Amino acid sequence: MSSPSELRKDPISGRWVIIAAERSKRPDDFRPAKPAERPRSVPAFCPFCPGNEAKTPPEILALAGAGPEPGRAPWSVRVVPNKFPALSPGAAPARVKRGLFESMDGIGVHEVVIESPDHDTEMADLPRGHLRDILAVYQARLRALEAEPTYAYTQLFKNKGLEAGASLFHPHTQIVALPIVPKRVKEELYAAERFHKQTGSCLFCRTLGEERAAAERIVRTNARFAAYVPFASRFPFETHILPVRHEPLFSAAAEDALDDLADILGGVLSRMKSLLADPSYNLVLHQSAHPARARRRWPGFEAFAHWYLEIIPVLTHVAGFEWGTGFYINPVAPESAATFLRD
Amino acid sequence: MKRILIVEDEEALCLLYAEELSGEGYDVTTARDAEQALDILKRERFDLIVTDIRMPGRDGVELITQIVGLRRDVPIVINTAYQSYRDDFMTWAADAYVIKSSSLDELKARIRELLAR
Repeated sequence: MSSPSELRKDPISGRWVIIAAERSKRPDDFRPAKPAERPRSVPAFCPFCPGNEAKTPPEILALAGAGPEPGRAPWSVRVVPNKFPALSPGAAPARVKRGLFESMDGIGVHEVVIESPDHDTEMADLPRGHLRDILAVYQARLRALEAEPTYAYTQLFKNKGLEAGASLFHPHTQIVALPIVPKRVKEELYAAERFHKQTGSCLFCRTLGEERAAAERIVRTNARFAAYVPFASRFPFETHILPVRHEPLFSAAAEDALDDLADILGGVLSRMKSLLADPSYNLVLHQSAHPARARRRWPGFEAFAHWYLEIIPVLTHVAGFEWGTGFYINPVAPESAATFLRD
Repeated sequence: MKRILIVEDEEALCLLYAEELSGEGYDVTTARDAEQALDILKRERFDLIVTDIRMPGRDGVELITQIVGLRRDVPIVINTAYQSYRDDFMTWAADAYVIKSSSLDELKARIRELLAR
């Protein structure tokens, strides 16, 4: 008798997941019984809406909008520092050791990218040109933060919807620069470095090559990018978007690649929205430590680091088994998820 | 005399803040929850509001967004024991975020700063 499930190992993280084939579900099974609640609805006030600019700290960067006519915002994309940040900018913090316990001052940068003046238009529904502008703003901020010697790594992420951790509906992305390289980022870099030493190849290019050859988990492609559901996805409909040609850093990607990235990202988000009834999701940029730090710790990192976007619709809950083992149970076979996302 | 409204569900803290801020020369009024605060705000005007977040009924974040939504141009200080509300961008309706501690010096400093604007 064949097993009702399959254990799969992710070639990048080395993490095992359980693909519970018998428990496979159709996208309709994930449609909520009632429409997902929006984050705390406050119709009278939104700090990200035009007209409330005085309630945010002074902007770091803004792209010009349709204004200044009444009712039209003078900006189209706006970046502001977090008004009440958990981390504060400062000089590189010293590590303090007390026996086994290590700590440092909470130095860091926390910025918010307000993606559009329109409170109700999600990233999935934005015109591709506007999405491209948002991507260009991401790049500009990442480049600026990478140039600051205090910081070793910058994380860019988007929480869309209450279940994904958003406190506010108005579409926004967050950028956090840290003085240390997080463990998960190090693990990816070490795995990529090890693979490169053994084979002379980029682990991500090789993974994408095998995904493209197998084709069954590919969601969509264009001239510069491919979107696929990873072989050992932890979550249903988890999707990665990678540049098809080797590229170590998103922040260094060519400007003319952003049109293709906007095209594929917008396409994937739009399909997820219609297929999965507008799910909450997390969008995460995976990229190397800042170049200056990466060059010291992972010499030649440009040959094996390869950036990608990860989109995780929030359709299942992480519970005791996952926390205890680091294993995940995914009730949708990645091949089925890719088929649904393609159609 | 500058008027301050304190919104705080813990009686002991309400009394402490009222005493300390009155000692600084402010005219202090207290409310024990958001409903009571909104009721008071319908009748009276204040120069500054200090509010807790975790309170029975409507929380402090709903209270401040409601006040700002009504275009009340009054500075607001969040005074909470929790750092976690820093993740809630609706707190941006407020002008300062002060963590509750045994010393009221920071709260007093923020109040002075906002009233001097």
